[in-house]
Amino acid sequence: MPPFPTTPIARLTGHNGIVHAVTYSSGSSSYILTGASDRTIRLYNPLKAPPDSEAPSASSTYAPGLVSKYSAHGYEVLSLDVDRDNEKFVSTGGDKTVFLWDVQTAQTIQRWSGHNARVNRGVFAGSADSVIVTGSFDGTVKLWDTKTRNWKPIMTLDDAKDSVTDVAVFDCEILCASVDGRVRSYDIRMGGCEVDVIGYPVTSLAVSKKGTEMLVSSLDSAVRLIDRTNGQLLKAYRDDAFVNTELRVRSTLGLNDSVVLSGSEDGMVFAWDLLEGECLHKFRHAEMREVKGKGALNGKEKRKKDIVSAVAFCPTRREWASAGGDGNVVVWGM
Amino acid sequence: MAYKRQRPPSPSAAQKRSRGEAKNVTVGTALPPDEEGDDGAFVPVWKQTVTDEQGRRRLHGAFTGGFSAGYFNTVGSKEGWVPKTFVSSRTNRHKDQANAASQRAEDFMDEEDLAEAAESRQLETAQGFASIGVAEHGANDGFFGLFVIEQDTVGVKIAQKMGWRRAQGVGRKVRRLARLDEAMGVASGDATSEHTFAPTDACTMVPLAEEVRRKGLGHRPEARLARTSEKEAASSPSLVLTSLGNSTTSIKPKSVQAKNSSFGVGVLNDTGSDDEDPYELGPKITLNKSIGKEKKFKKPSKFPKSAVAGHTFLTKRELVGSALSASRPPHNGKTPLNGFTIATQSLETKRKFPPPTIPPGWTSARSLVHTSDMQSFPSVADAAKSSTLDAKARASLLHETLLPGKSVFDFISKETRDHIAALTGKTDLPQGLGQSASDGYQAADQAQSKDLWKFVPVLDKAVAAAALAKGAAGWMPYAENQKKRARYVSFLELKAGLKNDLPERLDGVSTSVWVKELHEFAHAAEVFKPSSGIMASRFISSASTRSSAAEPGSSLLRQPAAVPEDPAEQAAKLSMYGAMTRSKLPFHPARLLCKRFDVKSPPEVPTHVDNFNSKATTAEAVSKSSMDEIRHLTLVPNPQLPKTLQGSVPAVLAPEYHAIVDVESNEALLTERASEDLFKAIFGNDADEDDD
Repeated sequence: MPPFPTTPIARLTGHNGIVHAVTYSSGSSSYILTGASDRTIRLYNPLKAPPDSEAPSASSTYAPGLVSKYSAHGYEVLSLDVDRDNEKFVSTGGDKTVFLWDVQTAQTIQRWSGHNARVNRGVFAGSADSVIVTGSFDGTVKLWDTKTRNWKPIMTLDDAKDSVTDVAVFDCEILCASVDGRVRSYDIRMGGCEVDVIGYPVTSLAVSKKGTEMLVSSLDSAVRLIDRTNGQLLKAYRDDAFVNTELRVRSTLGLNDSVVLSGSEDGMVFAWDLLEGECLHKFRHAEMREVKGKGALNGKEKRKKDIVSAVAFCPTRREWASAGGDGNVVVWGM
Repeated sequence: MAYKRQRPPSPSAAQKRSRGEAKNVTVGTALPPDEEGDDGAFVPVWKQTVTDEQGRRRLHGAFTGGFSAGYFNTVGSKEGWVPKTFVSSRTNRHKDQANAASQRAEDFMDEEDLAEAAESRQLETAQGFASIGVAEHGANDGFFGLFVIEQDTVGVKIAQKMGWRRAQGVGRKVRRLARLDEAMGVASGDATSEHTFAPTDACTMVPLAEEVRRKGLGHRPEARLARTSEKEAASSPSLVLTSLGNSTTSIKPKSVQAKNSSFGVGVLNDTGSDDEDPYELGPKITLNKSIGKEKKFKKPSKFPKSAVAGHTFLTKRELVGSALSASRPPHNGKTPLNGFTIATQSLETKRKFPPPTIPPGWTSARSLVHTSDMQSFPSVADAAKSSTLDAKARASLLHETLLPGKSVFDFISKETRDHIAALTGKTDLPQGLGQSASDGYQAADQAQSKDLWKFVPVLDKAVAAAALAKGAAGWMPYAENQKKRARYVSFLELKAGLKNDLPERLDGVSTSVWVKELHEFAHAAEVFKPSSGIMASRFISSASTRSSAAEPGSSLLRQPAAVPEDPAEQAAKLSMYGAMTRSKLPFHPARLLCKRFDVKSPPEVPTHVDNFNSKATTAEAVSKSSMDEIRHLTLVPNPQLPKTLQGSVPAVLAPEYHAIVDVESNEALLTERASEDLFKAIFGNDADEDDD
C-alpha cells in the first residue's frame, strides 16, 4: 500500500463561486484547469501557488499561479476535459452549449448548441479525440464531431429517463450515469447498450484503467465499485461522515486504481482503500488539513459553501486536487 | 434638358439624304433650309449643335470655352481666372470657401431665367386671415383689403354648388331681352332676341314690422332715409342679409342727392348713351327706364312693405311691445328670429263643416240581410270542437281512401298509449298497436348514417395513430368504463384509417349525445397523445385511477396507487447487483461514430431498420417521413397481424436480416481453387502466362 498524499502543497485562488470542475492537464499533468460558477475557466500552475496564497483583492490582478483565464460562458461551468495533446479542451455548463477551446489563444474553436438544458458533462472520446460526448439535464447524451464543422450531433442517445449527470468513456464504450438511477454503457464496437440499475440517482461515474470496473457515486451517500463485466457489486464505500444526498459530488479513482477518492457535501474529502473498503483518510478542504477520528463537523452546521464538489487525481504524480464551494482548489501532495 | 429631339443612333434609308432636299413634292419654291432650326433631317453627330431655349449655342469648342457655364455664357469668370488649390470635397468640403458666399440658384441664371423668376414671384395674402366685419368695408381703404381674405359663407358655397353665380339673383330663370346697353353702351333693342337669364341680384327683404305711420307733422322720411340706412348698413350688416353676392352696388342705397343738372353736356361728360337727354328740363326725377321686374328693386319704394330691410322706423312703444313679445316664452323654447314676433292670433285654418244631420224618420233604401239569423251559424272552429268525429271517421264520411301513412299510435306500445290517455284524460285515443316500423323505415340510424358522418369530428391521422400507439404501449383513458374505452379505440382506429365504418353508437343514445362523445374522444386523443421531445422526459403517465369513490368510507383524497417497482430497482435497493440489475438495450451507432472511434460498424447494421429499433436517433440517413412510416408500422397494432407478431416485430425479426459472420474462417479462402482448366477456359491462356 503506497503512502497517500496528505499535505496541502498548493492553493489555487481567484474563483468567485463554487468550483464545479477541476482537471489536470494531459501529458505531464503540470497544470490544473478549473471551472466555476463565476462563469470562468482558469488555468493554474500549482507549482507557483503556495498553500498560503490568498485570493487577490482586486479582480483584475492575477491570483498566484494563474496562467490564463477563459471566459465565454454565460452561465456556470460544470465540466471540463482536456484533450490528450493539451491543445484543446471542452467545457460545458449552464448555457446549454458545448464549448471547444483553444488553450493557447483562449478562444472558442467551436460551440455546439443542441441540448435543451444545462450540460452536465462533456468528455473527449474517439480516436484522436475526434468526438465529444456530452450529457445534459435534458436526459440526452449527444455526440459531437470535432473534425467537421457540423453543428448537428453525430448521434443522440435519449434512453435516459432523467438528467444525465456524468459521462465516461473507455475505449469504444460510452458510459452515461443518470438521475434515473441507471448507468448505461453503450458499446460502439459491438453495438449494444448495457443498463445497470444502481437504484439511486447517480452523480458521478469513473472507469478504472482496466475498464472492467466502474466507480459510481449515488445519492444514498455511497460510492460503489461495480464490475462491468457482469454488473455485480464489488465494493461499496461509505462512512458515517460521508454525506451525499442532494448535490452532485464527484468521486475518482487514484494511485493506480488503489484508492477511491470522493468529495462530500459537508466539506470533507474521503479516501477509501479500494480493495478493503475502509476509510483511509479524511480531509477538511476549507481548513486544508487531515482530520483524524470521527471527522464529523464538531458542532458546526453544514453550509452550502462547504461542499467539495470535485476531486481530481493526478495521473502521473502522487498528487490530487479538491475543489470546494469556497472557490479555492487545494492541491495535496506528499 | 431635352431641347433637341432625340435622334436614332443610325439613320434609316429615307433619312440618309442630304439636308436641304425636299422630302415632299411641293407646289412653288421651297423655302431656303432653316440653318438654325431643326427640321428633322439627319445630321451627323459631329455636326449637331446643342442649343438652349433661346437657340444659342450651348456647347463651345474646347478652345472657345467648353461648357457654357462660364461667366455670362463666356469663358472665364467675373474675376477672371483665379488660381486655386484643389481641395477634395470628399474629406473636407469647401474648406477654402468658408467665408465665401454660398452659391445660389440665381448665380446660374441668365437674364431670361431671372426675369422668369421675377415674374413668377407674386405677392399673395396669407390664407386663413380672418377679416373683421364685412369685406366691402375693408376694400375701401387702401391696403386693408390686401390682408383680408374673403371667405365665402357656407350659404354662398351651397348656393354656388346649386348653380348660383355671383351677382345673380336667386330664383327661376327669367326670359327677357339681353341687356347689352349697360355693358356696351349701344342701343341694342333691335339686335337682341329674348333669352333666359338668371334673375338680377336682389336684396332679400325681411319685413320687420308693419310700420304704423304715425309720423308727426313735418316728418320727412325720405330725408332721413339715407342716413338711417347708411347707419344701419354700417353698424349691423349681419342683421340683414342684404345681398347674396358681394356686389357693392346692390346694397348701396341710391343716392338721394338730386343730380346736379346743367345745360348741355361736355365732351367729357358724354357717356355716349342716347337715352339720357342732356337737355332735359325740370327737376331731375330718375325714372325707371328698365322693363320688367327689377323696377321695384331699382327704386326704393315709399311703401313700407317693399322697403329695403332695416329702413323701418320703430317707435318706442313698438319696441317695448316687441320686447314684451320676445320676453314671452316662445312655444318651442327659442326666441323668435330677429325682426319676427310670435303671432298672438292663430292663423285661420280651413273651416270645417259638420256632417249633415239625417232627418228624422229617414230610412235607407238598402236593407241589411237577416241580421237575426247570424247567431245560428256556428264558426268552423266551434263546429269542429263540438264534433265527435276523429280524422278517420271524417275520412270515411267523406269516402276518402285512407292515407298510406300510419298513426303514431300504431307504433307506440299499449302501455304508452294508456299513459298518454291517463295524462290527457282522453279515453278515445286509438289503441297502441306497438308495430315495428316498416322496411323502409326500419333502421333510422343506417339511413341517417350519411348525414351522421358530418358529425364525426376531425382528428389528425397522425394524432389518432399516436394516441392509439400510446394506448397500445400501456395507457389509455376511460379505464373505468371498458365499453367507452372500446368506443374510443374504435374511433381512433377510424381516424387512423384502420376502419371506415361509422363510430359505434349505443342503442337509445341520441345523436347529440353521441356526437358529444365523439368530440370528447377527439379531444382526449389530442390531449393523451404521447408527448414528444423533452416534454416526454418530464412527465410520466399517471397510474390508472381505480374507482375508489365507489367504495363507501374511502376518503376523498385519492392516494396514488403504488407503482409496481421495477424488479431491477428492488434488487438494486437490496444491493443484489448483478444479473438482476443488468439489462441490455439494442444500440446501433451511426457509421460516422464508428469511423470516429476507429472501429468497424457493428456487424448487424441493416441500414434501414437500425433506427427505429433503438431510441437513439442519428442525424443521418433515414428521412423523417420514412421514419414516421416505420414508427407507425411498429407502433400501431395492426389487427390483421396475428397476435404473436404484434409488439415484438422488430425484436423477433431482427436476427433474420443478418448473415452470420464467422471471423475465424473465411469461406472464400478456404474453398479449393478451381482447376486450371476452368480458368483457362474463361480467361484464356495468355493472361495467365503474362502474370507468370
